[in-house]
Amino acid sequence: MGLTRRDFLKNSIAASAALTVGMPVAREAEAAVKASEAGWQWDKGVCRFCGTGCGIMVATQGGRIVATKGDPDAPVNRGLNCIKGYFNGKINYGKDRLTQPLLRMTNGKFDKKGKFVPVTWEKAIDIMEEKMRWALKEKGPTGISIFGSGQYTIHEGYAAAKLMKAGFRSNNIDPNARHCMASAVVAFMQTFGIDEPQGNYDDIEHTDTAVLWGSNMAEMHPILWSRITNRRLTHKGMKVVNLTTFGNMSSDIADLEIVFSPSGDLAIQNFIAREIVKRDAIDHDFVNKHTVFATGPYDIGYGFRPKNVEKFASGAEMETYKNEKVHVIDKFEAIAQRKQAGEAVEQKNAATPMKDWAISFDDFKAAVEPYTLEFTAAVAKGDPDEPMDKFKAKLQQLADFYCDKNRKIVSYWTMGFNQHQRGSWVNEQAYMNHLLTGRQCQPGNGAFSLTGQPSACGTAREVGVFAHRLPADMVVMNPKHRAHTEEIWKLPAGTINPKMGSHFVKIMRDLEDGSCLFNLTQVNNPWQNSANTNHWIKAARNMNNFIVVADAYPGVSAKVADLILPAAMINEKWGAYGNAERRTQVWRQQILPPGQARGDTWMLLELSKRFKLKDVWGAQKIPGLEGGLPDVLPAAKAMGYSPESTLYDVLFATPENKKVKWPDPIAHGHGNHIADLLKDGWFPEKALFEEYRKFGSGHGHDLAPFDVYHGDKVRGLKWPVVQKDGKWVETPWRSNEQYDPYVQKGMGFDFYGNNGQKMMAGNLDKPSGPDKKVDISHKAKIYFRPYASPVEKPDANYDLWLCTGRVLEHWHSGTMTRRVPELHRAFPNAVCWINTKDAESRGLKRNDLVWVESRRGKVQVRIETGGRNRVPRGLVYVPWFDESVLINKVTLDATCPLSKETDYKKCAVKVYKA
Amino acid sequence: MNLSGILVVADRDWQTAVITALEALPGVSVHQVDRSTGRLIAVQEADDINAEIEGLRRIKAAPHVIMAEMVYHYLAEDNTEYPALPPELAAQDGSCAVPAYLMD
Repeated sequence: MGLTRRDFLKNSIAASAALTVGMPVAREAEAAVKASEAGWQWDKGVCRFCGTGCGIMVATQGGRIVATKGDPDAPVNRGLNCIKGYFNGKINYGKDRLTQPLLRMTNGKFDKKGKFVPVTWEKAIDIMEEKMRWALKEKGPTGISIFGSGQYTIHEGYAAAKLMKAGFRSNNIDPNARHCMASAVVAFMQTFGIDEPQGNYDDIEHTDTAVLWGSNMAEMHPILWSRITNRRLTHKGMKVVNLTTFGNMSSDIADLEIVFSPSGDLAIQNFIAREIVKRDAIDHDFVNKHTVFATGPYDIGYGFRPKNVEKFASGAEMETYKNEKVHVIDKFEAIAQRKQAGEAVEQKNAATPMKDWAISFDDFKAAVEPYTLEFTAAVAKGDPDEPMDKFKAKLQQLADFYCDKNRKIVSYWTMGFNQHQRGSWVNEQAYMNHLLTGRQCQPGNGAFSLTGQPSACGTAREVGVFAHRLPADMVVMNPKHRAHTEEIWKLPAGTINPKMGSHFVKIMRDLEDGSCLFNLTQVNNPWQNSANTNHWIKAARNMNNFIVVADAYPGVSAKVADLILPAAMINEKWGAYGNAERRTQVWRQQILPPGQARGDTWMLLELSKRFKLKDVWGAQKIPGLEGGLPDVLPAAKAMGYSPESTLYDVLFATPENKKVKWPDPIAHGHGNHIADLLKDGWFPEKALFEEYRKFGSGHGHDLAPFDVYHGDKVRGLKWPVVQKDGKWVETPWRSNEQYDPYVQKGMGFDFYGNNGQKMMAGNLDKPSGPDKKVDISHKAKIYFRPYASPVEKPDANYDLWLCTGRVLEHWHSGTMTRRVPELHRAFPNAVCWINTKDAESRGLKRNDLVWVESRRGKVQVRIETGGRNRVPRGLVYVPWFDESVLINKVTLDATCPLSKETDYKKCAVKVYKA
Repeated sequence: MNLSGILVVADRDWQTAVITALEALPGVSVHQVDRSTGRLIAVQEADDINAEIEGLRRIKAAPHVIMAEMVYHYLAEDNTEYPALPPELAAQDGSCAVPAYLMD
């Protein structure tokens, strides 16, 4: 009796799956796998979705993806995939995939009020050029902007940043990573002087304790969660703590679940610090050798529009916005910040929130003293139905874990910390407790910021696709950094604009007040992902401006745009991403984009062909920059450039880059639709990567050559990647002498990012002046940051907290995952989780349609009282993936004043029957 | 045909019972079993992809199953163009009009 084809397939799928996760299989089964996969071409790839950075093997045959599987050789996921990762092969095939440029037109001409009509790429680029020229003429370089992305490939982000900063001399480029990682970045830069985590995912298999702070890892980083689950089940003594504002799937295996009130985390961190000091759990040797204590101003505002806000805001909105100027201290802040309740504090440092200065250990000790168990429990207890004694016991247990010197401990966080009105502070507090106890940058010990997006680290941060950044942690405001960048980019001195551009939320505000007239959006969905989006949708549709959105599917942003560009997706182009543990990973083009969809890099390069040096390198006016930007054309001529040269020739298809030829043997027969369309024989992804690599080499951000990452056995490398005995070697733990080649010999630990830096000294209230400075070379800063209450709290009218976030099945705004029928059906529409008692007291029952309304807007949604989330009384949770429940019409556009990252986690709403 | 390879981790002491329970699920067969670690590979065949996802949920919900994640997804013979757009998207004018709910 022979096997049917179906039986044969099943056997070979089982064998292939077993091999993928390292289970032994019989030789015959291996042979069956080979036979069933005959004619397929397997190649390594990277998951399109979260910041974990799982490896995925992709099989193609006849120009189509035929199978995907977890990559058994990928150290991140070891063959596993989460439910989103599993469908990487399907996201390309949704029915409403955008396949041609669409322009709003009436009677054959562009009309902002017109309907979308298919146009050629030439026409699309013509109108972009026309509108950019208009915006540049009207407003100069600040009249244009790009919304970039933490989902940009490294090449795309690099091309976009270079085109804007070197070509158009505009710093108005900012990624959606501003919404997700900016607070983490500020804390890294302020604490260590260098961005990104020192540890890596292998900490999980080394640690005794995983503490989640505002990170629902079970849903948002499921593969890392499977590693934590495994550790919890196999390592005796392993403890898992879930600190959250509502019970969620991560609580299921947690030994300790602590439900805290919004912003209560600030108080809990200081309580732990106080306990560490009181119990003398300090690692004095580590602290004395490697750290300096520091603080900064408290009166820093809430990141609202700083001027003329009343012109744009409603009266209801002003109730919250008025805090930007003067904030009245509440009873908790009075104790936490050593002030009087009811005191009206002018927010004098709203424009200078980054100020900091060194303080003494005695100052630090005095600062954390008010954070007693009694006070902290009163501030931070998040579930009104939990007995106070029980909550206090949990806080004590948490402090025990941090104070136990024999216990290894890792703190993890994502958006709960980052999307926070004091996000930079609370990130810094995490380092505070790890540095105090000397448990940072060692296997199993450290504070670890997880990323949300696949290349928030690799592209947005490392390439510097931000309004203030240049590659490799450099910034536009620093003259030395500009000079170094101009040298690598072969630009005349003075080309780069020294004035920081508009951050993400400010670009929206610029479009609203008319100071920005042109926007290009790539690889993200700003009109869905920005808080208080009613304002921004109106600005896009009603103001005299031009919005271009490149996307694969028509999301909210595409629909509010004037021009839609059909974008290629992950496996349709060459790419590289960098994950949360500094691992740079690459993939080849596997299939062609459908129809006329094109890679984002191609769009940028085509646009660059339309502008000549004479158009952009003359003198330019910049609001707020005295004298503006200089005319660099004479210097450009002296360098051999012609004013008639295009930005394409000067920035991209340079003589050096054109030496990098396409086709290239590293392709192993795979295509490159961008190189083919350019038709000038160079390999843009490889050339741009090699050029970009120059920025990091030699100062702690080293990357290996392009071809090394494409090696068959390489599954990404964690930077800095340095050459040793002819091999390219990654760095598993930074700042630790045992692993990091940049650590000065004999130091043990070395926080070299702060080398050469000095900071003012002072006391808890102020710096003592510029004449007294402390050298912080080789040291990390331990910040004291106080508790501060959320700017908008529930009151008699808006009586509930609203928290927003993601669900396992969907990625961000759902433009991709909602096209995968499995994912859509698994979680078709957003719901509003509400506590049963809150539902009952409003006369509501499960599945009722309600309005969720804030001072800014309202949406209709069905309520859920059960399921995977257990919200405490007083708080509701709504995921944001669903554009028919556009919850960002309701959320508040408060940001952390340091990082400018929006707080999507707390504002006041009311819920009533629709 | 929708076929997927799923790694199931079960409590070692209960692995036999788990295998029996999985085999009883429609379209599910257990292939590779590693007694020493409690791991096994199940292959699931489902009429459509909706059933496939529901199947994974059933596996995850089975008693003594600690973890179940997909490993392998066979797409080669699935040429269906699923008309599964969310209804509020499908109902829009063309695919690109600004919906009224964005303008209020």
